[in-house]
Amino acid sequence: MKKILTMGLASLATALILPFAPGGPRAEADEPYKIGAAVYGLKAEYMRLWTTALERHPDVVSGMVDVTVFDGRYDASVQQSQFETMATQGFDGIIFVPIDIEAGAAAVATASMRDIPVVGSNTRVNSNQLASYVGSNDVKSGRMEAESVLECMDGEGNVVIIEGPIGQSAQIERRKGNLEALEQYPAVEILEMKTANWSRAEALALMENWLSAYPDQIDGVIGQNDEMALGAIQAIEQAGLDVEDFCIAGIDGVTDAMLAVKEDKMVSILQDATAQAQGALDVLMARIVGPDYQPKATVWEEIPFDGGSEAVYNVPWVPITEQNVDALLEEREKLTTR
Amino acid sequence: MPENHSARRSEQSFAGGRHTLARLLSEYGILLAFLVLVVVLSFASEYFLRADNIINILRQTSINALLAIGMTFVILTGGIDLSVGSVLAFGGIVAASLASEAFGGGVVHPLVALAAGLGGGVLLGAINGLFIAKWRMPAFVVTLGMLSMGRGFTFIYSDGMPVPRIDERFLVIGQGTFLGIPFPVLILAFVFLVSWVILYKTRYGRYVYAVGGNEKSAQVSGVNTRWIIFSVYAISGFCAALAGIILTARTTAGLPQAGQAYELDAIAAVVIGGTSLSGGRGTLTGTLIGALLIGVIGNGLDLLGVSSYYQQVIKGAIIIVAVLLDSFRKRD
Repeated sequence: MKKILTMGLASLATALILPFAPGGPRAEADEPYKIGAAVYGLKAEYMRLWTTALERHPDVVSGMVDVTVFDGRYDASVQQSQFETMATQGFDGIIFVPIDIEAGAAAVATASMRDIPVVGSNTRVNSNQLASYVGSNDVKSGRMEAESVLECMDGEGNVVIIEGPIGQSAQIERRKGNLEALEQYPAVEILEMKTANWSRAEALALMENWLSAYPDQIDGVIGQNDEMALGAIQAIEQAGLDVEDFCIAGIDGVTDAMLAVKEDKMVSILQDATAQAQGALDVLMARIVGPDYQPKATVWEEIPFDGGSEAVYNVPWVPITEQNVDALLEEREKLTTR
Repeated sequence: MPENHSARRSEQSFAGGRHTLARLLSEYGILLAFLVLVVVLSFASEYFLRADNIINILRQTSINALLAIGMTFVILTGGIDLSVGSVLAFGGIVAASLASEAFGGGVVHPLVALAAGLGGGVLLGAINGLFIAKWRMPAFVVTLGMLSMGRGFTFIYSDGMPVPRIDERFLVIGQGTFLGIPFPVLILAFVFLVSWVILYKTRYGRYVYAVGGNEKSAQVSGVNTRWIIFSVYAISGFCAALAGIILTARTTAGLPQAGQAYELDAIAAVVIGGTSLSGGRGTLTGTLIGALLIGVIGNGLDLLGVSSYYQQVIKGAIIIVAVLLDSFRKRD
């Protein structure tokens, strides 16, 4: 409270002084909190959405928080050196989206040596020094998508599973969820399980080949992300088959998948980038500012904030349905307009 | 140093005995390997030789084959183009942005989008060519730089987001068929024929070989070597952009991360096809067979349900064997 008051006064003072003294030294309390967001890479749609959502957090917009995004370029060692940079520059806190579940621990240790709190988001890291984690449970999404495919197949027939890059935490956990659901349906056979590395182009070729290898035998396609499910749809359409004869699911809720849900070609589960990014910042700020901090993310209407003290916050998955797809697309439009 | 005559003679005769076999292998080795693979796969999977699967292979191969055709021009001059994957993404995203209502600026005629995408590819290729031909920089370095810059341009232009909702008329480029043959395959066939005519029926083609064989003597005999070197990179850029446009139309979205590491498969196809990395020797037909070989391996292993890990091992082994055969040929 005191800090906020001082900040208010200080900013009032600066507002009066600044126009006359541009570039002059600023009071310590007036300076925005310096938060670093170390994300594994900015090459895919999901992380772009996550970053945009973070930059639109009310505290960032108001100038209370100054966010710097560090692109980890899909390399654990790049992320490690970015943590070292942030530590030297005296960042107040870090939001961490690690590329690797194990290698990320060293980066967290670097920050905690300087008492910089680190909150994880979206992807997991095996570290007990992490202040908290705000993300979605991938095992659950894997189970949800597989269940929707299996229910759509009336519990019998053959499925193929298109996997993410083998060894990534999302692939491992989504596979676990996929197989958990499949165990409940003994009448369903898994014809093939193979990786297409999250890539639509790779999944397209893979599905084309499977359609040749198993003519008229594939009933369901479980894509561990949307891009690959979309590739499978493309293969089915180009083979002259009817997409409606297949039960197809993906995860993430990328824009193209929403459009495909709208056309009733697949089901998808939205991984809520806004909730993950803005929720993580709220939890981090609560650690820095203290219990007086008021969280701003809308996700706290669904799950309890608890003063930001929980070790893990599970952001719920949102199944995309024909009922909510238009609203979700509108929201997405807002997030992607430049 | 005293020479052991008898040993030397026996070595010679040993080499002589293998001479014809080595020659046969080096001339037709890849074609032979390709045919053997086809026969094996046709027994291993009853679906392999079915018409729709063959069409799949051709369609899947078309992207890499287009890259490899452009790459053949470059490698024949003794150069290399590492930037094709990035140029592919750039050309694809430029065309997609103009053919999509999602990108703002409205939808233009698909042919205009096509031309713009190709123009973008030629531009990046020409920048490569300028640095390599005019300022004599190593192709490896320049195109490595473009590999990074081209990808960067693509992400800046698209803001890192895919470009969805592409005009149906544009998608025909990747999804249409004529007499049951997919457009990507027809485009590949057309580009192959045109390239073949350029390389083997024109003076320009002879010059490409001449520059790669011995640039100095080509220059002395009046060949504008700088122009030849510049132009092959523009050709490679064109082919890469065309591949990117087909990929965009196939996947129904402009994907900024498309084509990563595609340069490796393209170079592999050229090398497997018997083109020498030092330039001056090689054939376009070889490149096509090389690309088909890579495509057939991928398809066959999918049909048989073999892990993609093996695919990488097999492809790598074939590359090494291909270069080994090439070194036999050089010794002759």
